[in-house]
Amino acid sequence: MTRKTLASIPAAILSFVIYLFYTGSLGLFDVITGAIVAVIIGLLVGNIVVENPGKALSIRRGFLMLIYIIWYFLVAETKAHIDVIKRALHPKMPLNPAIIKVPYNVSTDYAMTLIANSITNTPGTVVVDLDYENKYFFVHWLDAKTSDPLKAREIISSKFEEFAKKIFD
Amino acid sequence: MKKSEICVIISIVIFIFSLAYITSLGGLGYLPPVDVRKLAQIYLASTYNPYQPTNTSSGYESVTAIIWDFRGLDTFFETAVFYGAIIASVAIYRGVEISSKKKSIGMSPIAKTVTRLSLILIPIVAASIAFHGHLTPGGGFQAGSVATVVIVLSIMVFGLRRLVQKGVTKPKILLLRSLGLIGIGLTAIGLVLAGLVIGVNAYIFQNQAKAMAEISYPMWIDDVLFGGSLLFFNIFEFVAVMAGFTLVLMLFSIEEEEVKKVIK
Repeated sequence: MTRKTLASIPAAILSFVIYLFYTGSLGLFDVITGAIVAVIIGLLVGNIVVENPGKALSIRRGFLMLIYIIWYFLVAETKAHIDVIKRALHPKMPLNPAIIKVPYNVSTDYAMTLIANSITNTPGTVVVDLDYENKYFFVHWLDAKTSDPLKAREIISSKFEEFAKKIFD
Repeated sequence: MKKSEICVIISIVIFIFSLAYITSLGGLGYLPPVDVRKLAQIYLASTYNPYQPTNTSSGYESVTAIIWDFRGLDTFFETAVFYGAIIASVAIYRGVEISSKKKSIGMSPIAKTVTRLSLILIPIVAASIAFHGHLTPGGGFQAGSVATVVIVLSIMVFGLRRLVQKGVTKPKILLLRSLGLIGIGLTAIGLVLAGLVIGVNAYIFQNQAKAMAEISYPMWIDDVLFGGSLLFFNIFEFVAVMAGFTLVLMLFSIEEEEVKKVIK
């Protein structure tokens, strides 16, 4: 099998699951139409969406992704929200905004995007620009604790990067 | 607050309440009845009616039944008019080529990666809407419009030239659009053709069996509500609308310089 056909397998599986999830039913009609649609979509966009079929089908990586999602939305998000709420409600409003260069060290686009979106989605930090060649994010930070790129990475994105590396690289 | 402001607020409140009161008394014209109207009752009784096989429209969705069965001919002409408008756009842009040699710039790699995932998500939602048009709200046109979002995103994020390089070209989309319309036409006369072959009477835009025309599209396959002609209409309309919108969006995204080279 060529890489293109292989790439359409994980895409088709993902399509099928999303189809059933969106339809909200497991009837025979839904399963049959879902399978037809999944195969068509998988063949059409498989090699655009999937970079490495083996990685996309890895159960270990999928499991790590699930752990990451739970940790991110329950722990990381809550921590960041509490911090921003504190700053907003504090009578002196202790803000120290700055745009900081934050390096990242992952090789795939998916891993890079996961880190960038994780940074943006937590309140207090936003990725405003990207230096793709030299692997830097430019992050707007509500309370810039440091202007040193490496220290900033330690505080902002080291944990995201750790997971992104395991899931996508 | 000034006295005049208070007066204005009070008079607005009095105006709204008195207008509502007059309306509720029927002072501004005929009041629609609170219960289901006669016309609606007829539609509801004949959209899905397993006890009267000659008076049913094979799906649960009344709106789809009205659009593709009760007034199928109207909808066919609407689709044909839409197709005509798209052909007109293509005719205006005749000779304009989307140059695929230059490299597309597109947006940042972050936006590109996220959009790659929506290449799966959005078409899936669209397909589900099309396939369930006879069961839940939605249908071919809605599904086609949803699927077009992928094209809008792709043109914005990857760039039009990249789209063409990946094989989304004008002739291909036109072909898809034509296949959709031909499919709609064939579904409309399908039973007539089948009737000619086996020698029974049938009408155009017939879905279920009628008194003098006793063939029908499958309403049930095993115990799955299949939707008869409604399902086919929805799928072909989905394809036709998606391709039509895609074509127009692609034409409108061509740079003015490129267009002006051909049209002076």
